[in-house]
Amino acid sequence: MTFTSWQFGAFVAIVFGVYYLPLLKSLQVQLLVVSSLFFYGYGQSELLPLLAVAVLGTYLFLILALRNRALWLPIGISFNLVLLAFFKYKFLFIGPASPGAAGLSPIDFLLQLPLPIGISFFVFHNISLLVDLTGKRKEPPDIQSVFLYIIFFPQLVSGPITRAEMFMPQIQPKYFRDIPFVEAAKWILTGFFFKLYVANNLNEMTSYMDFPLYETLRTQDRWLLVFLYSYQIYADFFGYSAIAIGLALLFGYRLPINFNLPYISASFSEFWTRWHISLSSWLRTYLYVPLGGNRHGALRTYLNLMIVMGLGGLWHGAGLGYLLWGLLHGVLLVIERPFLARLATIDSAAFRAARMGFVFVCVTMLWIFFKLPNFDHAVSYLSGMFTSSTNPNPPKLFYDLALLYSLPVLIQHLVSRPRFEQTLGGTEPYLYGLMAALMYLEAGPETSFIYFQF
Amino acid sequence: MQPTSAVYWFAKCGFGAGLLLFACGVATAWFGRGLQLPSTTTRGGTLITLNRYVKEPVPDVVLVGSSLAFRLKEEYFATPRLRNLALAGGSPVTGLEVVADQPRLPKVILVETNVLSRPTDAALVTKYSRADDARPLFFRPIRTAVAAYENRLHAPLNHARVSGALHQLLERPPSDFDNRIYVDRALQQWNAEGPTAAVQMNVSRIEQLIAEVERKGSHVLLFELPCSAQLEESRSAKITREIVHTAFPYPGQWLRIEYAREELRWADGVHLDERSAVIVTQSIDKALSSPPASP
Repeated sequence: MTFTSWQFGAFVAIVFGVYYLPLLKSLQVQLLVVSSLFFYGYGQSELLPLLAVAVLGTYLFLILALRNRALWLPIGISFNLVLLAFFKYKFLFIGPASPGAAGLSPIDFLLQLPLPIGISFFVFHNISLLVDLTGKRKEPPDIQSVFLYIIFFPQLVSGPITRAEMFMPQIQPKYFRDIPFVEAAKWILTGFFFKLYVANNLNEMTSYMDFPLYETLRTQDRWLLVFLYSYQIYADFFGYSAIAIGLALLFGYRLPINFNLPYISASFSEFWTRWHISLSSWLRTYLYVPLGGNRHGALRTYLNLMIVMGLGGLWHGAGLGYLLWGLLHGVLLVIERPFLARLATIDSAAFRAARMGFVFVCVTMLWIFFKLPNFDHAVSYLSGMFTSSTNPNPPKLFYDLALLYSLPVLIQHLVSRPRFEQTLGGTEPYLYGLMAALMYLEAGPETSFIYFQF
Repeated sequence: MQPTSAVYWFAKCGFGAGLLLFACGVATAWFGRGLQLPSTTTRGGTLITLNRYVKEPVPDVVLVGSSLAFRLKEEYFATPRLRNLALAGGSPVTGLEVVADQPRLPKVILVETNVLSRPTDAALVTKYSRADDARPLFFRPIRTAVAAYENRLHAPLNHARVSGALHQLLERPPSDFDNRIYVDRALQQWNAEGPTAAVQMNVSRIEQLIAEVERKGSHVLLFELPCSAQLEESRSAKITREIVHTAFPYPGQWLRIEYAREELRWADGVHLDERSAVIVTQSIDKALSSPPASP
């Protein structure tokens, strides 16, 4: 069930309608858990047992780790990492065409299961739960609270990755009068607008980046499409995160902000404080810092950065392209690190704009490895950007349409928010209304959220 | 925020949305059908092509086919009142089904038979099978604005406008674009396909549709477009050719098109490049103006 389907709209309406009924006030958590299970099992019920095993297993290890953290915490983390590795990376070692190779029917059954949607996200929630709660609490939380934290449907499939210490204290009775309706509406409308108007329409154009279609493109169109994909992936994921935040607000939960205008970053380290913030902060808290962070000298810091970014790349998928994407980001972080302090002393708007442009272009070029996870295809696309095309029948791209569909991302990044809000004044609600109408009228063809595959 | 102000906020938001929807609704009723929206995908192009067909007067000649015939642009043809309903990525049977189900039929229907392994697009056939049910594309303000701008910059082409450019194109030598890598890839794909069952089913349906439209007064002619020599010898092409020619053995059932094969080029081994498409188009023009071959 995707956020953009009518079934999801009906599902949310029903759950919301029941959630605040006085009769069911004491069952709010249970209701959300059951709803989330329905949401996850809708269309892929065979994966529900896996989700249950992941949550119940984590709960068991949580109880054990509260008694003996040194022993059971590593085992609990390993349990989750094995789950992730098995489902996400099994095809690195076993050909997808030969699942019967093991000769054991239960293993064959597991090998034939598709990649569970959202596994990368709920496994990270599980690890956060184990680390955060065993570090501070004496008593284990109740099972339904653990279930809710891990499978809360707005964040189940693609985050934001919420830390347990932030979410668990929010599990309290919720009241209709406390709902921030306008704030929730703004998030939800903005999210749907970015997904339906920007991302889905740009997807029509960037589908020409797929193999072998990209071979027909003119050189300048290859460049254009890379930038359009950069806008698309932002609009797609920002849109999803915004919808998730807005929906969670309707049920009384506040999820972390996942994006903060990433394309105005003046450095790569700043980019990672603005892009997919919940993932980068998770990696920093649970991987970079335990590895030693920057506390053991420059060389060790660089190594840690490369490890974190490489694993961060692999987290997105089992492919050389994803690994390379992460490692290249790591290289950029390592290269800029010695110069950051000196660059920060240069107080010039033009210089900062140049830095922002440079970071944006580099980040955008690296998205090619995301769009084309096949390494050969990515390299072929890249090399075509620097050679002139001789194809006599290139496809026609409408540049004006590309600009109009990218405009919301450009405005969001280039116009300062206070000035924008000041200009809008009392007309802000009308603007959201226009956005709602526009996303209905100009919605691009339905496509799944890019981060669903991770 | 106070509950009352939240209600005001939603009221204003609803008013803004309603205003734009109302304006677009009025615009759709007024002049929304007049503008051809730009298509960014083959599917979008297909919808536009079929929308135009069911809304405009019935032409004299209609061409249905796959992406091969799609390359034969309408403005290349000197034959007046000709429409090309070939669907990129689609089956000729889809176009033929749509044409056959219209209340009025063209005098001549040309059916390209190179690619018959694809299934009929049932959704498109259902959508366009009765002209009265074919709704116009809903008014999309952004796309319509772009369409207006594009149409102002590039007025729709017709043969008279482009004939000079076509003449210049034909005076140039054939392209020397190296297409080997694409031919090899296409050959691999065409040799891997086992199209027998699909082609037999499509040919059988074409026979039924031909009988149907000829009963209503149309004349149907089949034609094959040239591909690169390697692809014409591929497994898929040979099987398709054999089945089609067994089903339609008489010369009178075919449009006889003649061209200088050495002048033709294929950018990807399958689809004619622009110059070659013009050459083939001219030969179709010539064949259409010639007396029909005896059966």
